[in-house]
Amino acid sequence: MSSFFDSLSILILLSSFILMANKMSKSYIKTFRFQSFLIALAAGIMGIKTITEEGRFDVLVVCLLIIILKVIWIPNILSKAYAKAEYKVEKDFILNIPILILVCCTLVVFTYFSLATIEGINDGMINVQVVNSVSVILIGLFFMISRRKAIGQIIGFLVIENGLFVTAMFSTQGMPFIVDIGIFVDMITAVMVLGIMVFKINEKFESINIDKLSNLKG
Amino acid sequence: MGFFLIVLPVIAVLLFMLFKNSIIQHTISLLTSSLLIIIAVYLTTDVMVLGSAHHTALGGIFYIDALSIIVLDIVILIGFMASIYSVSYMETEIKHGKIDRGRLRLYYILMYAFMFTMILALTVKNMGIMWIAIEATTLASAFLVGFYNDKYSLEAAWKYVLICSVGIAIALLGIIFLHLSSIGVLENNQFLDWIALYNNAESLKSPIVKLAFIFILIGFGTKAGLAPMHTWLPDAHSQAPSPISALLSGVLLNSAMYGIIRTVAVVNRNLGSSIYTGRLLIALGILSILTAAIFILTQKDYKRLLAYSSIEHMGIIAVAMGVFTPLSVFGALLHMINHSLTKAMLFLASGNILQKYNTKQISEIKAILKLLPISGTVFLLGLFAIAGTPPFSVFASELSIMVSLFTAKKFVVGGALALLLAIIFAGIAVTLFKMFYGNNQEEELQPGETNKAGTIVIVVLFLVISISGLFIPDELKNLITQAQNIIIGA
Repeated sequence: MSSFFDSLSILILLSSFILMANKMSKSYIKTFRFQSFLIALAAGIMGIKTITEEGRFDVLVVCLLIIILKVIWIPNILSKAYAKAEYKVEKDFILNIPILILVCCTLVVFTYFSLATIEGINDGMINVQVVNSVSVILIGLFFMISRRKAIGQIIGFLVIENGLFVTAMFSTQGMPFIVDIGIFVDMITAVMVLGIMVFKINEKFESINIDKLSNLKG
Repeated sequence: MGFFLIVLPVIAVLLFMLFKNSIIQHTISLLTSSLLIIIAVYLTTDVMVLGSAHHTALGGIFYIDALSIIVLDIVILIGFMASIYSVSYMETEIKHGKIDRGRLRLYYILMYAFMFTMILALTVKNMGIMWIAIEATTLASAFLVGFYNDKYSLEAAWKYVLICSVGIAIALLGIIFLHLSSIGVLENNQFLDWIALYNNAESLKSPIVKLAFIFILIGFGTKAGLAPMHTWLPDAHSQAPSPISALLSGVLLNSAMYGIIRTVAVVNRNLGSSIYTGRLLIALGILSILTAAIFILTQKDYKRLLAYSSIEHMGIIAVAMGVFTPLSVFGALLHMINHSLTKAMLFLASGNILQKYNTKQISEIKAILKLLPISGTVFLLGLFAIAGTPPFSVFASELSIMVSLFTAKKFVVGGALALLLAIIFAGIAVTLFKMFYGNNQEEELQPGETNKAGTIVIVVLFLVISISGLFIPDELKNLITQAQNIIIGA
C-alpha cells in the first residue's frame, strides 16, 4: 500500500512541475484540476482503507468534498472569472520556464535534505510522501511569486492548500474531521473573496496584471 | 452564557440582512455590542473566580481561561467603542458622498462577521479550529479594507488577503506538524486540543515540535504584523475606514499574537527551556521594531505612521514573550492591553482628523488644535502615550518589559530596544508634531467636532489609558498573573 501512495505523491509533485511549465492561464486551471483529481484519488483509497480497518467514514467524505469543490466547482468558477476578466494576453512569467523548473528541482532537493535531518517524521528511512507534499507547498509558493496575473496567484494559493492537504493526509492520516471541514469552508470563502476582488481590480485598473498594483509604498 | 458570545454576532449579521433602514441598523449594532459587553463582564468574573469557563456543547470545544479572556475583553471593548464611533462616522461618509447608503448594511454585516471570527478564535481550545477562525478573520475583513472601492483600497485589500492567507497557510503546516508530533501521545478525541497538548507537552516529539514552531511563528507572525512579513499591514490599516483600522490594529493583531503565545507555551514546556523560541521571537521582535523605526522617521501619511507603530508594539510583545520570565510575560500581556486601547484611540481620533481635512498627508494638515480642540488634544497626548511617555499606561508596560530584559541579563537586547524606542519617539515627534501648529490656509474648514459620540469614546479611552498608567486595579493584576501562570506553568 505504501508504495502506491509513494507513487501517487510523486505524481502529485509532478503535476506541480507541469503547472510551473504552463504558459497560459487556461492551462493553469486544467493542471490544478488534474492535481486535485490525483489528491481525490489518494484520499479515496485512504478512505476505503480506513473504512475497512477502522470503520471511519470521514476520509471518504473529505474525498467527496475534494471532488465536488476542487475538481469541479473551483476550476469552473475560476475559468468563468477568467473569461470575463481577461483583458489582453501578456507575457505572464518573470523568469523563463527552464529556470523556473530548475528552481523547483532545487526546492525539492532542499526539502529532502531539511526533512531528512528531523527525527520523528522518518522511521529509519526518509518519508518520501512527506518530502513530496511539502515540496508541493513550496512550489505553490514559488508559483505565486513567478506569475504576474491575479489568476496565477490564486492558483498558487490553491496549490499551497493542496500541498497542505496531502501533507496532512500522508503524515497524519488526516486531520480531525471538524478541522478538515472548517478548512474547506475557509477555502470556498477565500476563492469567492479572491474571485470578486479580481473582478473589482479588473474594473478599476482595466487589467488583472498585479504589477499595476504599486501605488502604496513606504 | 458564554455560548451567547459566539451566537450573538451571528444573530446580528442575520438581522442586518433583514433590515434596510439605517437607523434600525445602527440600533442593532449598538445593542449587540452592549450585550456583548455584558456577557464579557459576566464571563470575566466567572474566569476570575473559577479559573476557566467550559461549555459542553459541540464536543466541548468552547473554552475560556484567563489568557483568552484578556484578549477577548479587548476585542469586545474595542468592538463596542468602534460601534459607537461608527454611527456618526459612517453617516458623515455617506453625507460626503464617499459611499452610498446601501453599503452601510454591508459595512455592518462584515464588521460583525469580523467580530464573530475573532471571538471564535479566542473561545475554542482546539488549535485547528482556532486556525480556521483566524483565517476567517482575514476573509471577513478583506472587503472592509477595500471598502471604499478605489484603486488604493483595492490594492491594499488584495495584498492583505493574499499575504495573510499564504502566511496563515504556513501556520496550518505548523499545526499539521504539531498534530504529527502528538500522534501516539494523545487520544483520538484529544487531537489538537490545546490543554491536552500542554499537559502532555513533555512527551511530544521534540524535533517535530521545533519544526512546527517555526512554521506557526512565521504564519501567525504574518497576521500579527511581525517584520519581515508585515508588508500588508501599513496598506490595510491606512486604507480601511477608521473604526476598522482601530479594530485591525487593536484587536486582530492580538488575536494572531494569542495564537503564537499558546504555541510558545507548549513548545517551551516540551523543550524544557525558552532558549529556542526565545531566540526566534527576540530576533523577529527586534527586526520589527527596527523596521518600524526606519519607516516612522520618513513617514508622510499619518495613518500609515500609526500602522508602523503597531508593528513596533507587536515587536515589543514578541521580544517580551521571547524572554519568558514571569515579569516579561506579565509585561507582554499588560502591553497587549495598553497598546490596543491606546492605538484604538489614536485611530479613532485620526478618523476625526481625516473627515475634517479630507487628507492623509501630514504636510497638508495644520492647526489641528484650533480646528479640532478635543480630538486634536487627545491625539497629541495619545502620540506621547504611544511613544512611551509617562504617565500613560504604555510607559508602565514598556518599563516592566525593559526591567525584565535587564534582570534576565539580556543587556544587548535591552540596550537595542531602548535605543530603538528613543528613535521612534524622535520619529513621531519630528514627523507628526507639525500637524498641530500653524494656521490653516483653507478658509472653508470650520472649527468644531463633527462626531460627538465618537469624541466622547475617544476621551473615555484617553482617561482609561491615563489612569491605568498610574495604577492597575488588583482584579486586572490578578487576572494577568493567572494568565501568566497558564503560559509559564506554575
